Amino acid sequence: MTNPAHQGLFERVANIFSLVDHIGDTLSDAEVEGLLRVLPPESANSISALMAPHLREASLVFLRTLSTWMREARAMKAAGGKIIMVPFNFPPELVTAFDNAAPLTVEVLSTLGVVALEGQGERYWDLAMGLGLPDHACSSNTIELGSMLSGEDFRADGLISAGPGGCDANAKIHEFVSQYMDIPQFVLDKPVDRSPEAVALYRRYYRRMVRQLEEFIGEELTEEKLRRVNERANRCTELYYELWEMHKVRPCPIPNLFSLFVYATRFSMWGTDTGVACMEKLVAAARARIQAGAYPAPREKARCLWAYTSIYYDFLGLFNWMEDRGITHLADALDLFMPQPVDTTDRDTMLDGMADRAWDMPMTRQMGGPSMSAAWIEDVLWAVRELDAEAVIYCGHHACKQTWSVVSILRQELMKQAGIPLLILQTDAWNKSMTPIGVVQRQIAEFVDQVVAPQRGGETTRRRRRRPADSSPASST
Amino acid sequence: MMSAGIDVGSLTAEAVVLRNGDLLAHATMSVLPNPVDSAREVLGRALSQAHAAPADIRYAISTGYGREKIVEAGLAQENVSEISCHGYGAHCLAPSVRTVIDIGGQDAKVIRLTPEGELQDFVMNDKCAAGTGHFLELMCRALDVTLDELGPLALQSRQPAEMSNRCSIYVETEVIHYLQRGVPKVDVAGGINRSMAERVLALVRRVKWESEVMLTGGVAKNPAVKAELEKMLGVRMRPVKIDPQIIGAYGAARLAQRKGGAA
Amino acid sequence: MDDLFTQATLYANDYVRQWRDGGGRTVGYNCVFAPLELFEAAGLLPYRLRALSNAQTDLADAHLSRFNCGFCRSCLQLGLDGAYAFLDGLVEINGCDHLRGAFENWQYVKPTPFFHYLKVPHIVIDDALEYFADQLVQLKAALEAHFAVTIADDALRAATARQARVRELLRRAYALREREQPGLTGAQTMALVLLSSTMPSETFIALLEKELAARENAALPAPRARLLIGGAATDEVELLRELESLGALFVTDSLCYGTRAFWPLTEHADGDPLRVLAKLYLSNTLCPRMFEDYPARRAFILAAAERARIDGAVFVHNKFCDVHGIENVLLRKHLEEQGIPVLLLEKEYGAHADRGRLKTRLQAFLERIGRP
Repeated sequence: MTNPAHQGLFERVANIFSLVDHIGDTLSDAEVEGLLRVLPPESANSISALMAPHLREASLVFLRTLSTWMREARAMKAAGGKIIMVPFNFPPELVTAFDNAAPLTVEVLSTLGVVALEGQGERYWDLAMGLGLPDHACSSNTIELGSMLSGEDFRADGLISAGPGGCDANAKIHEFVSQYMDIPQFVLDKPVDRSPEAVALYRRYYRRMVRQLEEFIGEELTEEKLRRVNERANRCTELYYELWEMHKVRPCPIPNLFSLFVYATRFSMWGTDTGVACMEKLVAAARARIQAGAYPAPREKARCLWAYTSIYYDFLGLFNWMEDRGITHLADALDLFMPQPVDTTDRDTMLDGMADRAWDMPMTRQMGGPSMSAAWIEDVLWAVRELDAEAVIYCGHHACKQTWSVVSILRQELMKQAGIPLLILQTDAWNKSMTPIGVVQRQIAEFVDQVVAPQRGGETTRRRRRRPADSSPASST
Repeated sequence: MMSAGIDVGSLTAEAVVLRNGDLLAHATMSVLPNPVDSAREVLGRALSQAHAAPADIRYAISTGYGREKIVEAGLAQENVSEISCHGYGAHCLAPSVRTVIDIGGQDAKVIRLTPEGELQDFVMNDKCAAGTGHFLELMCRALDVTLDELGPLALQSRQPAEMSNRCSIYVETEVIHYLQRGVPKVDVAGGINRSMAERVLALVRRVKWESEVMLTGGVAKNPAVKAELEKMLGVRMRPVKIDPQIIGAYGAARLAQRKGGAA
Repeated sequence: MDDLFTQATLYANDYVRQWRDGGGRTVGYNCVFAPLELFEAAGLLPYRLRALSNAQTDLADAHLSRFNCGFCRSCLQLGLDGAYAFLDGLVEINGCDHLRGAFENWQYVKPTPFFHYLKVPHIVIDDALEYFADQLVQLKAALEAHFAVTIADDALRAATARQARVRELLRRAYALREREQPGLTGAQTMALVLLSSTMPSETFIALLEKELAARENAALPAPRARLLIGGAATDEVELLRELESLGALFVTDSLCYGTRAFWPLTEHADGDPLRVLAKLYLSNTLCPRMFEDYPARRAFILAAAERARIDGAVFVHNKFCDVHGIENVLLRKHLEEQGIPVLLLEKEYGAHADRGRLKTRLQAFLERIGRP
């Protein structure tokens, strides 16, 4: 029998996630305790974060969503269909629309490896480094692709790259895998500006990719197939905004991890019934918490927006730790994909709409803009104002050189235009071995206590007094 | 016929004197500010052990970071990179060796050799303390043990403490943290050596390593790092018959002997 | 040649100063996609930014981060500290993430009188070509408006012919370098290429014609090994000189301050001069920031390897450069499959302290491939 530790990342993660299918809609505390005892420390950390009582039911639905996603990909492969790897900044519903292809999202798989596996993703990162790849490559894609490059994992049939212009590290590693393993690559370039000509050009680029995929998969993407995914994607979009609106409530009743649940769903099962069900569950859970006036800490100390990614190697140490201290994680930039309904009138309107959605995917939209800093600042400021954030945190993932190159401008403009302070961390968001979570926590705590809280001053008290009388003050569940 | 190899690194200098290819004498010392002074001094020490004079040396090769200046000063006829010298030194000691892992005080290198002892590939870390002897020195300070004590201490560990960081500064913090929490010293030492071995392993993976493997350099004297690496690679290291710290100088001397013989 | 070398190590060299003294205006750019012909036809001097091993980046580090490439930080530093005060404007090109960051910060902190962003597609298909041609129309309009000039088609055609001559002469310089008994070192050739993008093409043509005639029979000592150097933005003439001091010669290259700046740009076509330029630059430029044409880049390097009869190849990248850092690994695989030994070097841009490290590796590589 193969040593499970020597299997590829996908196999290991999919096997672990398949356990979720055998769990009901909820778990008792005793069952969670039992589960935690048998899991390796890294998985136990993640499960204990996800099984916190106030988000347990939503987490179970979310985990099942991902389990379904991976199960369907396995079934597709087994049935002779094609697995198309997509980057997080490409809407996977285009691939889902095919009967004979399934999308797997590189960064989602890397993250699941980090969250669920013993040893997190380090083994696969090291395998990639063993090929000579530079250590400043991005762990978010190199972990999963390292697993594939090592030959231990499944072999994708095709790769979509939507990274050119948004992230060199992302775009180049896709090309590397394509050339190294001789896997066909489908490139979606993006014109820099958003002039009408550029939008029209992008739509043509998108259609070119659709034609290439149709030919490669050997299947026509009919109007009916497109409508199937777009109607569901539109429903997801409605639910996204319902949840977005609820994030505006003070104190924010929505658990910190929901931010990640939303975009993980966007990057995997958007446009499917399972994706809709997941979003519905998130909305229902949030609504129930609003009605209960719930907030996980005695008081909301700081409402924070994360300027780019969050940190994924320690859920408990980041999302839940913040929550316990009254530090709300409202959203990060991966939530800023600004979904809009796709006009499902006919094939053309749908393809145009899907291309526009691709344009608005996170990173593409901000870093692929005519000015990286301007587009990024605009979105972050918009979200700050929408969600009434008081502080912004930049996780400082070392491989995000494009954001690193303009984060000083973001910091100055946030302060100048909105009086909002920016905390700049330095981490590898997918690898605990660069910056210990304790160091991250100390920096966040100092930032909140020394910079955010004094600025907030009496304002909080005033706002909190204005809360409706029927919503009880903070609850700890 | 006598030949010599002089290896002046950033921390230590070594000299080896051979007679007809046999090891006659060797010396090791801490470096002086000027690499030429180091070379002159360390070679002098080795020569006096060998009861020989500089004029007796037919051919000398310098290596290490001061190698060019040593040739300019006339102490050696030629300079050869430390990578080649380490590889050739290991090959002369055990021709079946295909991979040499050399962990020095300031750098680490992994060298892959052809059956003839020629360089096939190499990687080197000389930028980051993690995975070098310097890392162990830092950790010894935190543990309050000597470098010689660290390895034997770690060997007693049944449950090495997990070091989750790569950066030496953060590992040092982890070490202190473990000690404060009352984790036994042996387990902390075990964790340190395992972490060291993991960093070296990452480097080893960058060359397509093959058996047999020889561990050289100062860190080869640490039995725990050696044991961890053997476990991780699934091989037994080829024993080193001479002081593992002088392999570079030894390789230089063997090359000098070859050149001198041909000259 | 000594004077040329000296001039190549200056930002505002004699030629730039003479141009400025004569009332000429200068526009800086950094990327090989910049259509030099267009600037020249506008009566402007296109000046390719360089950092010339400058490792002092204190001003730039307040804006770019330590996770950004040292070359780009150096360029920003020179923009902020006044070394590039002689530029009347800047044209940004989306070459890579770090360069874009450098330009954005430069404009944010210290805007230049003229600034334009020339957006280059990452793929070569008809639609992209169309877009790029339109980008050139916009650049032309911006130059005309700001500098109050008219760029006539005839002037464009004349500039196109002059640049073609520059490229032809540079190829002849490379022939000197690549031949059995090289007449130019790698460092000298890099200096020539650097100079070529700091002076009016007419001046450079005259200078290079003279230099080539003088060196026709030059013969350098037989090198220990013939190497190709490729990879990231490398304008460090001194570094090449130091590496070549080990006895090897870089007899050819695939650097963007080398062949990639001129070699592939030889397609001749008739028609609307701007469209001709759009096609020339987009379809022929070989840069790893482009997608879907890796096989062409590999073929270009293999052709250079064969032409120059190399014993090995060295690919460098500046720390944090993903575009080259990742591509170099692929090139190593594919060149080694062809039996060409390859050394990959990650370097800290401009860092003197780094040179010993690089030399040790190159020396070991030479010992590896060397005939004793």
